[in-house]
Formats: sequence, structure tokens, C-alpha cells
Amino acid sequence: MRVSLATNTTSPQSQQRRWWLSVRRYLPIYLLIFPGMALFLVWTMFPLIYAFVMSFFQWNPNPVATSPFSGLANYTRALHDPIFYQALRNTFLYTIITVVGQMAAGLGVAVLLNTKMVGRSVFRIFFYLPVVCSWVVVSIIFSYIFSTGGLVDYIFGTVLHLISPQQNWLGDTALALPTLMLLGIWKGIGWNMVIFLAGLQGIPTEINEAARVDGASRWQIFTRITLPLLRPTISFASVILTIGAFGTFIPMFILTKGGPLHSTETLLTYAYTNAFSSFDFGYGAALTYLFAAFIFVLALIQIRVTRARTQY
Amino acid sequence: MASTLSRRQLFANAGKTAITASVASVALSEFLAACGTSSATAETGTVTFWHTYDVQGIENQTLLSKVIPAFNKKYPKITIKAQQIPYQSMLQKVTASIAGGNGPDVFRSDIIWMPQLAKIGALMKLDDVVAQRGSEFYAGPLATCAYQGHYYGLPLDTNTKVVIYNKTLFSRAGISAPPKTTDDFKAAAQKIAALGGNVFGYAEGGLDAWNILPWIWTFGGAVTDDAYKTATGYINGPQSVAAIQFLLDMLGAKQLSPSLLGGSSLGTADALGQNLAGMIIDGPWVPPELQKQYGSAQYDFAAMPAGPGGSINVVGGEDIAILANTQNKAAAMTWLTYMTSDEAQRLMGATGQVPTLKAASSDPSYPAYFSYYNSQLATSKPRPVTPNYTQIDTALTDAFTKALQKKTSVQAALDEAASAINALL
Repeated sequence: MRVSLATNTTSPQSQQRRWWLSVRRYLPIYLLIFPGMALFLVWTMFPLIYAFVMSFFQWNPNPVATSPFSGLANYTRALHDPIFYQALRNTFLYTIITVVGQMAAGLGVAVLLNTKMVGRSVFRIFFYLPVVCSWVVVSIIFSYIFSTGGLVDYIFGTVLHLISPQQNWLGDTALALPTLMLLGIWKGIGWNMVIFLAGLQGIPTEINEAARVDGASRWQIFTRITLPLLRPTISFASVILTIGAFGTFIPMFILTKGGPLHSTETLLTYAYTNAFSSFDFGYGAALTYLFAAFIFVLALIQIRVTRARTQY
Repeated sequence: MASTLSRRQLFANAGKTAITASVASVALSEFLAACGTSSATAETGTVTFWHTYDVQGIENQTLLSKVIPAFNKKYPKITIKAQQIPYQSMLQKVTASIAGGNGPDVFRSDIIWMPQLAKIGALMKLDDVVAQRGSEFYAGPLATCAYQGHYYGLPLDTNTKVVIYNKTLFSRAGISAPPKTTDDFKAAAQKIAALGGNVFGYAEGGLDAWNILPWIWTFGGAVTDDAYKTATGYINGPQSVAAIQFLLDMLGAKQLSPSLLGGSSLGTADALGQNLAGMIIDGPWVPPELQKQYGSAQYDFAAMPAGPGGSINVVGGEDIAILANTQNKAAAMTWLTYMTSDEAQRLMGATGQVPTLKAASSDPSYPAYFSYYNSQLATSKPRPVTPNYTQIDTALTDAFTKALQKKTSVQAALDEAASAINALL
């Protein structure tokens, strides 16, 4: 009450003083934030804005040369570009299948490892290992495993006779994207496992015990209790994974370069090729902004859909 | 005439005063290098040189241990900072450095990048140099430095591809002589494929223009007309269709390895070295690799088999250019001049880099197989010289993939390529 009274009656002078006091009070915080903020502004914000400007020009990367302004031409061009739509379709397919695949596999592994079995830490390490490996390394290893006549062909073709021993995994338009999806899922299982393990351990054990006393089966406990209570975890994982899957670039770039016939072209590989191989920087920038718009809308939808509060 | 005058004037000035104006010292250093004099010059500074020489092989080693020391004997005050950049990321790195202004002074560029870089104004014009020295180089490689009537570099090395055949498999299949015509080639591939196992007659590593255009030219086809005005009737003409059909038939009959479609981790040279491929068509850098990896492999060379269009392969190679934003034009020019000098051309020639300088065309240190490449170069053709080449290359690869993976008919795939390429000309 006294405070509000004071505010109502302050003179301009004392208002200034108050402002100075609050600055002084928070100054250490500003100083601590500053280095991180500066890095963020220079290395993230500035390129973002620069690319946005670029997307309205026929951009020449040479700073000495002039870049003609082209308005929305780069954006309308994308809307008439069949490869853009193919890249969009590939990106969506890759995202849906790898996100669902990773979460299902990660949740399965987490449920299995959430028991007091012997050697569970060893399994947890094995499943987590691909996560800490670099994308470049696992991509190159995959290129050997999935090369024509490689390890997969040998085991499933030569030994088990399930497929032809000369599959062109990464060179065939029908097989290349599924092979990359497999890589994406395999690499993501460990991360999902950790997240879901944390989620599972957050579920009060009393609830499970009560359900068991009431005679619920394991499946009923899983679908009626575990899954609904994991809702915040699922929501968090799906948003993070969707953004990650949309931005997948390295495996495509290393293994297929978007080929064969653009069957593994994603929005990012296509933007990259346009910018750095065709020198069409304006078009590349426009593609990344369209791409950012998609992610933004998708993330909004996801958050809204999964926002419902968890109730015990 | 004008150029002779200015040279003479500069020579007179040289003794009197240390030259500071960049243009003048450029011309002077060139003159001194051309004379082969080892007198010290006033030029100082550091020249950053980006290249894609094989980092583990003899190329980079020769550059560092022979070429640069020899240069420094003549120009002790210039420091050459040579940086190897992987081929795959070179174009991207150079482009980024142009935007950032922190790139190399001199750059060894794949010939197919030159028009694209010239178009954005990234390269220094070298019209004066070419006017003086142009006739010292082979015309084909020199033409790759030109864009819209101006020159932006000098040819550094050139190459083409010839048939390399596995003598062990040839004798096992009972073939006595290397193929001379496309029919011979197919017949030989058939006999070798008949040996069974995972042995193929012919192995090709991809569906890029670099891999496929030699067949199109050999069958009498082309990508566009000579003026790069239209692709209609050229890339989708009957000769081009016949060339792709020829490859499709060989692929169907398992004479041609499926490595053509990509997805194989075994390189074609490795397949030849491991007696899994009878013939490959590849460049002068392959024999040293074979020697190193498969010392006991028995192989020999033959010209591209002749078809209705002749025996034609593709011109590859690199040019050397100066970035327009260099801070050290004089020293950069001195280095460029030295790299295209007789001495440097011979040193690099010994590593399998075919010289572009006429005077350095033969040397006892060159590998014996150079003769096959040199005679093939006489008929080799360049890929379309246009700033949109990388996009044309994509259109061609897409069409070749469609045809050879049997997504559409050969004619339909090439028709599509024709309309895509027309939009890029």
C-alpha cells in the first residue's frame, strides 16, 4: 500500500532516481548476460536477418558487386518449383517417420530398461552410444554398411537369402530415403530412451501399485496410466525431434547429396545446393525462410495439441 | 605492340627504382620470370594459395617440398602459404571467403567453376597476361579461362580419360587386343562378364556429365549447339539417345557394373585392381593410385573406343586464378606466373598433372602413360562453358539417372533434359 502511494506522488526527479536504482540493482545480471547475448546477436541474429534481406535480392556473394532487388520473386519461384515440392514432401515424410519411429523405439527401450534387470547400465550405454557419435562418422559408417554388396547385403542376401545380395540402397530412388530414415531412427533411439526413462521415473510408483492391486494387466497399466502420465514428456520430445528432423542435413549431404533424382532432397540440401553450388543465394535464403515458417506453424500446432494438463 | 613498349619501359625503370605501383611490378615480375632470371625483386609479402592437390599423395608433397622451395630461391621475400582444401568443399569455401573478404590470393580452380566465379566478379581479369602469354598454352585448356570475351586465369593442368584395361582378365577371357571401336568394347565387356562371379566388363562410378558425356560425344551426340544456344536436337537427338541406349543395354546384360548407378563403396579403380572389372575409363591420377594400392595388378591403356562421332573424351583440369579482392596483387601475380612456368609445370608434371604449357609437354620425368592421355587430349571436348554449368550438370545427371534406372524411356528422359537445359542457356 505504501509503495503504490509513493508511486502516485513521485516527482520526475525521484522517478529518475528509482530508474537508476533498478539499473544498479540489476547491473551485475546484465553484465553476466552480455557475453552470451553478444555472441547470440552476432552469430545467430545477424545472419538470420541478413539472410532475410538476402531473400529479396538476386544476391551476389561478392560484396563489391551489386545485387538487384527482386521483391518476392524468390518466394514465388519456390511455389512454382517442382523440386521444392519434392523436397518438402521428402522432409515431411522423413520427419513423420523418424520422429514416430524414434519415439516408439526409444519408449520401448526405456520401458524395458526401467526394471531392475542385470546389466541395464551396459544396455543404456550401448543404446546411447550412437547419440554421442558425430553425424558425419555414423553417416560414413552407414555408407559402408549399406553399400552394394556391403554388410547388410551380405547378412540378409548372401546368408539369409531374404533379399538380393546386390541391393543399391543409396542409389535407388525407392530405397535411398528409407535407408536414411533408418539411420535417423537408429541414431535417435538413445536420446529418446534417456528422456523417456526420466519421464517414467517421474511417475509415482503408488499409482502403478494401486492399479496392480485393482487387477489391471501390464498392457492396461501401460496404455491407461503410463502413456497418459508421459504426456508432457511425449510433447517435449516430439517438438524437439520434429525441429531436429526438419533440419536434418548432414546424412543427406554426405550419403546422397539429395540424389538420386532428388529422392532424398530436403529443404536444407536444396537450399544449400542453390546457394553454394548454383550461387543462387537469394533463392537459397528464401527457401530457408519458407522452411522456418513451416517449422514455426508446426511447433505451434504441436504445443497446442499436447498442452492439456496432466492430472493425477 | 603496346605491350612490348610498356615492357621495355619497365625494364629500363627496373634498375633505377624499387617499384611500388602494383600494376608495374606485376608486369616486371612476369618479365623476369619469363626470362628465367633469378635476380631478387622488390616484391615481398605472403601469398595464400588454395588448392585441391591430393593431400596424402605425391602432388601435395611435390608442391611443398619442390615447387615452393624452388620458387623461394627466386623470390626469397615472398612467402607462399599453401592450403589444401577438399575438392567437395572448395567452391563453397571460396564463395564464402569472397563474401567475407578473408580468402586466398591465388586459387587453383576446377575448370568448370571459372565462368561461375567470373560472373560474380570474384576473379581478377588477366587479359593483358593472356595477350602476352596466351600462345604458350594449349588452346583447349586456355579456353576454359575465358568468360564473355575476357580471361580470368591461366590453365594450370589438364587431363582427360582413356580406357584402362585389366590384362589379367583380358587374357582369361581370351581377348588379344584392347577395343578399338564401341562394338569391340561391348564384345570385350561381354566376354569378361561371362567369366562369372562378381566380375564386370566395364565399371563406371556415376552418372555425372563427366562420366557419361564421353559416350554421347563418341556416338556423335552433344549437349547443345556450339554457341550454347539450344539443347533441343542435341542432348535429345538420335545420337545421344543411341549412346544412353548402348549403356542401358550393357547394364541390362550385366556387362556394365551397377556401380554406374552409385551406391557402391568400391571405387572403379579398386574394382580394376582387385580383378573385378575388365575396363574402366579414367584419368591420369589413377595409375599412381593403382601402383600404390595394387602393385601386382596388370593393366594397360587404350584410347576411348571410336564410335560414329570419333574417339572422344572429356577435358578436365584446373586453372589458376587470382581473387579480385587480393591485397597483394604483385606477389600473387608472381606466384601465378611461376606456377605456369616451364620449371613448375615440369615439377608438377612428374606427379601426373598433365602440363598445359606447350614447352613443357614432354620430359623424361613424366610417366610413360602420358602419351595415351596426350593423344586423347587432341580430340577431347570441354563440358559446356557457361556460368550455369553446375545446374546443367544436375539436369544431365537427373536425365541419365531416369533413363538408366528405367524410370522413363531414354528419349523421354533426354527430352526433359533438353527443356531443362534450354531454360539455363
